[in-house]
Amino acid sequence: MSHKDLRGFLGAIEASGDLVTTDREVDWDLEVCAIGRLACERDAPAVLFRNVREYGGDWPVLVNPIATWRRLAIAFGLPADTSVRRLYQIYAEREQRLIAPTTVEDGPCKEVVVAGDGVDLFDLPVPMVHEGDGGRYLGTWDLVVSKDPATGWVNWGIYRFMVHNERLLTGFPRPTSHLGKMLLDHYVPRRAPMPIAIAIGADLPSHLAAAATFQMGGNEADLAGGLGEQPVELIRCQTSDLYVPASSEIVVEAEVLPDQIAQEGPYGEYPGYRTGEMGHAICARVTAITHRRRPIFTVDTTGFKDSSSIVTSISGAVAIQRRLEKHGVPVTAVYVPPEGAVHLTVVSVKRGGAATAQQVLDTLTARRALMSKIIVVDDDVDVFNLAEVLHAFATKCHPGKGIHVTHYEGRANTLTPCYSQAERVARSGATVAFDATWPLEWPLETIPVRATFDRSFPGPVQQRVLARWKELGL
Amino acid sequence: MMAASAAEYEAFVREVVATTSGAPVVLTLRDLTPGKKKYRGLNVRAIVSRPPKPDEPRLWLRSVVGVRYPQPCSVRILEELPETFTAEPYSDLFDAMARVGRSR
Repeated sequence: MSHKDLRGFLGAIEASGDLVTTDREVDWDLEVCAIGRLACERDAPAVLFRNVREYGGDWPVLVNPIATWRRLAIAFGLPADTSVRRLYQIYAEREQRLIAPTTVEDGPCKEVVVAGDGVDLFDLPVPMVHEGDGGRYLGTWDLVVSKDPATGWVNWGIYRFMVHNERLLTGFPRPTSHLGKMLLDHYVPRRAPMPIAIAIGADLPSHLAAAATFQMGGNEADLAGGLGEQPVELIRCQTSDLYVPASSEIVVEAEVLPDQIAQEGPYGEYPGYRTGEMGHAICARVTAITHRRRPIFTVDTTGFKDSSSIVTSISGAVAIQRRLEKHGVPVTAVYVPPEGAVHLTVVSVKRGGAATAQQVLDTLTARRALMSKIIVVDDDVDVFNLAEVLHAFATKCHPGKGIHVTHYEGRANTLTPCYSQAERVARSGATVAFDATWPLEWPLETIPVRATFDRSFPGPVQQRVLARWKELGL
Repeated sequence: MMAASAAEYEAFVREVVATTSGAPVVLTLRDLTPGKKKYRGLNVRAIVSRPPKPDEPRLWLRSVVGVRYPQPCSVRILEELPETFTAEPYSDLFDAMARVGRSR
């Protein structure tokens, strides 16, 4: 079972050696996130800063709550050394056991309430994350709640939001995101402001659910309950009928304006680059801020190997496997390596060949196309072992016949660094599947034999070698 | 002309040559004054000069991916504008700013 709130999780990662706490003064202007960025790149612990310049000890800042498999394991309430393969299994199991949330009348996130003219976003220790960003980013490790007025469906997502001035935020939930679609389909046509709530520092399962690749119409609060193995307690917002996790450290309530925009971005995002997507965003006016006393402001220092890459690695892979199974692909395993920044996925199949690779490609690009590279391997390749995957790709993918490309308009990932500005605006792009499987039409006896220990030596020889391994001084 | 509220700003632009042509342009300035409100956004109609004029606030231009152009500019604010531009969500901000510039 997971911890009920962020503070319980922090106690656990401190005990396991996966959290460093410091009272030394650090600057919110780049320094906090420079430390956090280097920590990501070195697989170092999360850091809790308790003395942030100009905000003192009343506004601690936590960087990179997840960002390593160890911390993700602890977020699930598991031992820190749980294997990645096991974490995938646990996620897939718990995702199937949804637990509905409960509602409460009072909760920690209401300890301090600031509404209306009293709101000033600069009272929050919002960091400047990267040099050259368009501004200070409040929403990096957040949970944004929105509601479909037609069906009542509530969506949670992790979306970026930037401080424009005291009461105005700008943000970039992609137009193809659930929030983006909700806004464009239901609020913009009616010229109606769309209420949102940005929860910061909620319990970890809630953030994992918000980051998850979950079906349209699915309730992420139920998913959070399933992932944490207990119901999430929700509490009503001050200025809208939205509900947020009651344990949140900070909640920013706002309305997305249906007919106004302002500068947003550029921003160094999870693909590991600051791309040229700026200037096509949304803006929201803040109506209230509620928070715990001495709240912990959470930040994902986005970029290579950030928290979102770890979280999406697992939820994205599980969603991909389910979709492939639903479409009849003989899939056996899927891995989305965090190092691939949610642009690369590895799919192993029982029966390979060109038709299967094409089927994988078509299935994974039908609606949103977040992945731009797919490697399809036979099921004798361990998808979690990138050395094996690279070997299969390098040796089995035919450079002339094994590359399948599909182009699309209107559903590409606008954050993909290799796309031009024109492609971003049109949301046009492409995905390639590298077929690293043996062709089905090759007779079995002609398929190349792997020159590995387990494939090129008789069993008795293998057993003798293994028995003598230590004796030989190896 | 409005008084400058800070000594140094930055702005993200798509067209550097047009921005520094000497004609009035609409920009979002980011206030670089140290303190809690550093990076606050301010929409303005202004004239950008490169090289900078000594009696005007310093302005650094950045590209759409945030790369800072090495040559400094200065900015003379002609008018502060509303905090947002009228356009549907996901519209092109630079087009919206250009429309405001043409209407003034």
